Amino acid sequence: MRSPIMAGERLYLRPMEAGDAELMARLDAAETDTFMWRWRVPTSPLQHEHFIAEGYKQQPPRHIWFSVCLREDDRFIGNVGVVDIDWVHRSGETVSWIGPAEVRGRGYGTEAKHLLLEYCFDRIHLHVLMSEVDEPNTRSAAALAKQGYRPAGRRRWTDVKDGRYVDSLLFDLTRAEWLAARDDWRAGRAAAAARR
Amino acid sequence: MQDLRPVYLRGPNVYLRALVEADKERGAAWLDATLPVNAGRAGAVLEEEHQGQRRRSARRLAIALTKDGEVVGGARVSSHDAFRTCRLAFEMAPWRDDADALRAEALGLLVHWLRDGAELMVVTVELPADQPLTSAGAEALGMVLGARLREWYGRPVGRVDCLVYQALNPRWEVRDA
Repeated sequence: MRSPIMAGERLYLRPMEAGDAELMARLDAAETDTFMWRWRVPTSPLQHEHFIAEGYKQQPPRHIWFSVCLREDDRFIGNVGVVDIDWVHRSGETVSWIGPAEVRGRGYGTEAKHLLLEYCFDRIHLHVLMSEVDEPNTRSAAALAKQGYRPAGRRRWTDVKDGRYVDSLLFDLTRAEWLAARDDWRAGRAAAAARR
Repeated sequence: MQDLRPVYLRGPNVYLRALVEADKERGAAWLDATLPVNAGRAGAVLEEEHQGQRRRSARRLAIALTKDGEVVGGARVSSHDAFRTCRLAFEMAPWRDDADALRAEALGLLVHWLRDGAELMVVTVELPADQPLTSAGAEALGMVLGARLREWYGRPVGRVDCLVYQALNPRWEVRDA
């Protein structure tokens, strides 16, 4: 593992490095899903390099991003982060994106998110988090529910799909709720491991 | 400063105007009331935010008292032109007991300007739940409470929810029906 900030069973989170820019651009180019985006856009490693460099200029940072890597071979598979951190009110918005289509559906997103939540609540002591997904993105909405987030409402007309304006759904998660969800998740993982 | 008061952003008690260099002396009123901001830092923010202003999607306005021009707050308008939407955020001078009422009036001026004048589809504002006059003002403007983020703001007596209000432009709403 290279500079792990948070390590889990199969994944770890590390700071984004300049070398990730090329990998991030490749993942963007390989994106097969359309429901998450209004449109897919080709990105350059140059813009990711700029994004990564900017992310480490402000201290304390307003946004904290991690690269998600596999423990077995250090392979980069996506990013998770907490953005718009309010250090006074102890709140922020979580975002995540797990890249190559072939690694989706294996629970990596959930594991990466649990590591991020542990970082947010136990390392930097945030009190509450929110997350927002486009309404057609039912996969992400279901994942948030599984991670303990609760529905908080909606923002109207935030995007366009199939010629109509669609809403985004908001979810929130307090530290107390996360502790309960984490225990459930860990118990489920332990039970699954015992069955194997 | 009187000449900078837009005719469409004037109310009985407050008006909104573009920020000017002299406003750097009162950064705590319009920029950040929690963490100290001195005149040097406020001046740098003014300089930074006005570079390439025509291309920027966010602008900050001063909220000033009609009676004497005192700056008592700031409003940040972040627009997303491709979507015809915008978000509002307020910073109010912490020493004003009437900050809630002044913010409510400023919100009314901004929503009429953006929704009715500029014909934006959606104007969104996030408000702490302990600002009843601004919430009532939002509802009087026809804004809809779309979401409530629990325990979002810290207060000495506990935590307060964040209310997400949206003004939906009825002219667009008809088309979407």
